[in-house]
Amino acid sequence: MSAATAFFSRTWVRWAVVGVIAVVLIVLPLIFDAPTNSTLARIGVFAVAVLGLNVVMGYTGQVSLGQIFFLGLGAYVTAYGVNEGWNIVLVFILAILLPAVVGLLVALAAARLGGLAIAMVTIALPIVGVPLAKRLSEFTGGSQGTSARFSSAPEWTGLYDDQWQLYVVIAIPAAVFVLTRNLVRGKFGRAFAIVKENEAVASSMGISPYRYKVLAFTIASAIGGVAGFLYMVVIQYTSPETLAFHHSITLLASMVIGGAASILGSLIGGAYYVLVPQLTNIIDPNLTAVLQGAILLLVLFILPGGIVSLPRLWRRSRGGRGLGSPVAAGAQTTGIATIEGTRASHAGDYASPVGSAPAVPPVTGPESGPTDKSPSPESPEKRQDT
Amino acid sequence: MSTLRKRMRATTIVAGVGVVALLVAGCARGGDEGGGSSEGPADASPGITDTEITLGITTPLSGATAGPGTCTVAGITAYFGARNAEGGIEFGDGKTRTVKINALDDGYDPQKAAANFEQLKGSVFAMTSGLGTPTNRSWREAATADEVPQVLIQTGDPIFSNQQESPWSLGFVPIYQNEGAAFGELLASSSGEHKVAILAQNDDYGEGYVEGFKEAIEGADNIEIVKELTYEATDTTVDAQLTELAGSGADVFFNAMSITPLVISSLQKAQQLNWLPSWFLPSNTSSPGAILEPGGASAFPGVYTVAFAQSASAPTFAESEEGATFLSDLAEYADYPDVPAFPHCVWSYQIGATLEQVFQKMTEPTRDDFMAQLRSISDFVAPLMLEGTAVDTTIDGDPAVSSVIVQKYNGKGYATAEDFG
Repeated sequence: MSAATAFFSRTWVRWAVVGVIAVVLIVLPLIFDAPTNSTLARIGVFAVAVLGLNVVMGYTGQVSLGQIFFLGLGAYVTAYGVNEGWNIVLVFILAILLPAVVGLLVALAAARLGGLAIAMVTIALPIVGVPLAKRLSEFTGGSQGTSARFSSAPEWTGLYDDQWQLYVVIAIPAAVFVLTRNLVRGKFGRAFAIVKENEAVASSMGISPYRYKVLAFTIASAIGGVAGFLYMVVIQYTSPETLAFHHSITLLASMVIGGAASILGSLIGGAYYVLVPQLTNIIDPNLTAVLQGAILLLVLFILPGGIVSLPRLWRRSRGGRGLGSPVAAGAQTTGIATIEGTRASHAGDYASPVGSAPAVPPVTGPESGPTDKSPSPESPEKRQDT
Repeated sequence: MSTLRKRMRATTIVAGVGVVALLVAGCARGGDEGGGSSEGPADASPGITDTEITLGITTPLSGATAGPGTCTVAGITAYFGARNAEGGIEFGDGKTRTVKINALDDGYDPQKAAANFEQLKGSVFAMTSGLGTPTNRSWREAATADEVPQVLIQTGDPIFSNQQESPWSLGFVPIYQNEGAAFGELLASSSGEHKVAILAQNDDYGEGYVEGFKEAIEGADNIEIVKELTYEATDTTVDAQLTELAGSGADVFFNAMSITPLVISSLQKAQQLNWLPSWFLPSNTSSPGAILEPGGASAFPGVYTVAFAQSASAPTFAESEEGATFLSDLAEYADYPDVPAFPHCVWSYQIGATLEQVFQKMTEPTRDDFMAQLRSISDFVAPLMLEGTAVDTTIDGDPAVSSVIVQKYNGKGYATAEDFG
């Protein structure tokens, strides 16, 4: 294994891997049939939405139940702009800016509140959003929704619409993912992690928890706006139903299933959001809700750290590597609070396959959301001892 | 030198993979599409063979609208289940085919509905029967672009029945305007003078009803609208509006309301205010058991609604031959043993019967011919339709069923109202 690690750490190998991935991404849309392309495109859309949620929840530890609102807002801005005949680049920028501004305003007020109070404020967003979208029918088309078809393939490309859309949904999310990766790995990411872990410590280090919470929330909203734009690229229609509250919960579940505070986990989360309903439809269309609940439970039971923690589990089952395995075992039983704590202690070094015990017991227990049924901050350390 | 060589190596790998992948790509998609596009016009469309035709449905089978959604599949499955058991349906081209239904759940999520359409469009001949305005709207334009029929769907949105805007779509159930207009016409034809108070939900639903009603009473001297108020779909009470409307002294109350608890509380509030007008209620909020009885509707001189299909919950329903067949088909072929609480089961059954008419006229196994024949059905009385209503697909702008019959509440259920009063 160490030989493999050494091999993959060589610069040229890394670039080759990146290059191969790029080539595969460019070629795949040409190979697949239209339904597959459209499925992949929708995965891209919701992966971006989950990524935004991860910035505020996974990395900064603030519970947000309103992410779908920003997606919906981005979609409505896009639809309105396109139908008014605005330049598509301008529409794209507005679809990012407007949700970001709304997110900023909400965060300025909400971030003053601690913990669960933020969650309550963010719950209000989709709940207010749906009737608002119905009432502002001049802009939104009312409860019948509005469609905007602007993402047909340009003549010169000679591509099919689904291929063109998939290219758009590869290009934009790729940029968003790289930018977010750099964000959470750099100075801001470290600050987010400290704010998440312990606000008092953050303050003592000269990091304003308030400012970074607002920043994380605003970035998450902007990323939600991007997801909304992409939603319109792929679905080409939006209605008040798009920003219904229960989709926010599904996004949250997708984030946890994929892996909180993980870039790759966001991608997996997007895939979960899109593929599981399709999968359950194939099994039995009359039992989709039950099956989805069962899958959710099953994944969380086997992989509480999300699907992204699968390699870690696999490595542990092969005998483990010193320090890594006990923590992974802890993560196994204590849910995402531990995983988040582990990650936070790395201050953004999410890619590290080897976990270590948190320096400070994570204070994220009560904040890590309704999905975390075992918020016991001290258990990681106990596990560490065993 | 070594850096250069490494870079070269990386570039070589990437380029190699790229070339191979592009070659594969060229073969794969090109071959597929070539096979598809070379089809002549007389060749069969997807989803139909000499012995079978497949229909697709995307509808909510989970979530808040799962009840009616399940009915949209059950009715049509029951109808074609019975036909298949008889050996199939003889199409206009002389071939006998059985009908297969491929239904997927969209949970009333437009995004999932669009995905289901993408998934089904290559393997089904036509999409039908699905419930919901946003869920059908999300793939209406895609259906138009791909030339896949989206027909006899269950939504009151007029856009699907506009041939200009939706050449490959057609709604089945009456649009909101049809319902409002039916009551307006009954009122306008009455002999007495009537003052009307209107309360409407402040969205396209309420507006549709009021628009239809107003058009129908235009020019009728004996009808005067004395007061018109709105409420929001999210309101928890309309007591203030009712008090104001009661003060107008109206003797007819046109209540375009889609929220069940609000209708019940409105019926009660009006009685408290001792305001006892005749009521009009939309078809989806006029259930005798769920709304009128708890609301104490017998106190009013008349509660009216509209319908085009028999109600399966009516006491006499199971006694009629059609009703008994419907219930036994539903239990036998659609695994739906109960008496359906939603009208959508009956509607979906009627959609099956209407499609059978179209199939019998189809002389070519193509979607084009299907759409042409679909738009040529008139005066077809589907099973379980009320007297005076019929399927008519020939009128642009109207759904397949646009004729509704005004019904009056008689303390237990509804009976057709011949005149107002």
